[in-house]
Amino acid sequence: MYTDFSIDAVSTTPFLFFTGKGGVGKTSTASATAVGLADKGNKVLLVSTDPASNLQDVFGMDASLKPISVPEVDGLFMVNIDPEAAAFDYRERVVGPYRNKLPEAVVNQMEEQLSGACTVEIAAFNEFASLLTKKEVVDSFDHILFDTAPTGHTLRLLQLPAAWSGFLDESTHGASCLGPLSGLGDKKALYENTVEALSDDNQTTLILVTRPDRSSIQEAGRTAEELKEIGLTNQRLLLNGLFEEKSNDPIAHAFYTKQQIALKPVEEKFIDLPVFKLPYIAYPLTGMDALRRFLKGDEEGSPPLASDEGTPSLPGLDRIIHDLSPKQSGVVMTMGKGGVGKTTMATAIALGLVSEGKKVHLTTTDPAAHLHHVIEDKGLSDQLTVSTIDPQKEVEKYRAEVLAQSATQLDEKGLAYLKEDLESPCTEEIAVFRAFANVVERADQEFVVIDTAPTGHTLLLLDASSSYNKEIERSTGEVPHSVRKLLPRLRNRDETFVAVVTLPEATPVLEASRLQGDLKRAGITPAWWIVNQSMAKTHTKHPLLLARASSERQWIDRSLKENKNTVVLPWFTEDLTGTNALMTMFRKEVR
Amino acid sequence: MTKIRIFDPAMCCETGVCGPVVDPELTRVANALFLLESKNMDVKRYNLGNEPQAFIDEALVQELLEKKSTDALPTVIVNGEVKKVGSYPTNEELALWTGIDKDELQPRKKESDDLTLF
Repeated sequence: MYTDFSIDAVSTTPFLFFTGKGGVGKTSTASATAVGLADKGNKVLLVSTDPASNLQDVFGMDASLKPISVPEVDGLFMVNIDPEAAAFDYRERVVGPYRNKLPEAVVNQMEEQLSGACTVEIAAFNEFASLLTKKEVVDSFDHILFDTAPTGHTLRLLQLPAAWSGFLDESTHGASCLGPLSGLGDKKALYENTVEALSDDNQTTLILVTRPDRSSIQEAGRTAEELKEIGLTNQRLLLNGLFEEKSNDPIAHAFYTKQQIALKPVEEKFIDLPVFKLPYIAYPLTGMDALRRFLKGDEEGSPPLASDEGTPSLPGLDRIIHDLSPKQSGVVMTMGKGGVGKTTMATAIALGLVSEGKKVHLTTTDPAAHLHHVIEDKGLSDQLTVSTIDPQKEVEKYRAEVLAQSATQLDEKGLAYLKEDLESPCTEEIAVFRAFANVVERADQEFVVIDTAPTGHTLLLLDASSSYNKEIERSTGEVPHSVRKLLPRLRNRDETFVAVVTLPEATPVLEASRLQGDLKRAGITPAWWIVNQSMAKTHTKHPLLLARASSERQWIDRSLKENKNTVVLPWFTEDLTGTNALMTMFRKEVR
Repeated sequence: MTKIRIFDPAMCCETGVCGPVVDPELTRVANALFLLESKNMDVKRYNLGNEPQAFIDEALVQELLEKKSTDALPTVIVNGEVKKVGSYPTNEELALWTGIDKDELQPRKKESDDLTLF
């Protein structure tokens, strides 16, 4: 019912941006499109922001900061800008010269302030801008493809007059998220041109890449709306990984059905957008042949291996319950990017602990989880209590609070600026963090299981130069007791247990690795990794899914390297949001 | 003319929204300084995160950092003299140093806000 993906239909403009949640296949689809365009005789530049290791697999060559030609494809050039590396370079440029000139604690504070999401975001935009506006680059290619796109927050900030007048130039008010760019005034023209090119339908196409699952479709919907408001109206939706076969294999059948259910809102949500599809494939997208086959809609690739062949036998969730069983209280946090199953895991762990006779409080940040049924249905109310942290509500509360406090302190320019500051990714993090700290307090008496955790960056900002408490005393706002006690508790490995949740695929594993690194910086070592949705752990006989199962192997191995306490869960046929399904999962796993 | 130099700790948002709690103090200070500047006062603010060189060039600040580390920040220097260490000036203090009426350091709302309803 959707149109097959075709190169011609998506590539009518010189600039193509592929955007979407981590793991939906932005780099793969952008790479395949680039190869396809070059095969048709175009001169193409592929700009990737992927960590080099993955790109290297795709093209079998190292990408660099300068465009280099891809030997196997005439007319294709590739450049890799790693925003993390760009941010790192920026940080080193700023901090490096001062390492021996200022006390260590002072240098640490500088470093941490430049380690946030904002720095990475702006560093990436800066790289885009310099490419998009370099005439010699633009003129020498028919198409320039990007495997990511700037966020609405960044673009809106740049469009605010306050970003350029008064505030920045006079450095009196300073520039929150734009702060990382020194000498921003010089770049005004550059950024203006960039924003203009982005919002010109004749120059730019935005390709929203999504998987047929609830969370990535939601994310695509949000991005579509947000960027449309800023003027990026030339959009396409690309459904990547559609499994359209009705099979007798029970796993394959459930897989098909789940996708169909997730796809229901698509037509309504993306009513004005052309929608294209690419098939679910089982082979890794490495090398030109694979990319070309992918574009043609070839699903199976080379013959699959048997699913269990060589897959290490790894424990399930019972391992986690076993590890926790000597304790009567503690904080258990499940952490990972959206869509990997944090809430489901937290709920299952909570139920597992209850079955061991523990007292548990479960908190979820997913408003759709409907946890109250779990307790009522099973009559568990003596042992299990639940609460919700709704990030959206927390952010609204926080925004209202800040604006109320500041309304009398700022003029209208200042207020507009503050409002956009409140749209920054830091804000949600801080808002949720405060609610989080309150819940964690309860872990004196019982287990507290939470499906989120603050990032290491947020924790380090509080702890910069080990003056955590002093920082808090100095602040004039009211700091609750719970926040004060939080960090020491989270660092105590007898009290706090983090489970990093991921999927057996490239991007989710790399993202999980980054999350773990970030937590370690803050002195928190995850106790376990949970690899969720493994086909290798099912009993499917479907060839396509079997092939997929064998491709999981390298990512499970990588997870084991990251954390030897790695737990692997099968892809469940049930929808794991209802009470009964959760209990099923629990029975299967926690014996 | 009064010369005010403020040496801030490394901050991600000078509006203060990224801190562990909302700090209305930061917005007050930012705005008061902005108003002083619009009255042609010589005001400069340095963020440790963006302009560390300034913290070395100013010997008074470097000395304070050696002694008190990050507790020294923010440091306020008025006409070459350290006036505040570890906290921001109040509007009263700013008024005293600059000779500008304290009430003028409050923001004025644009009147047109009320008039453009129709």
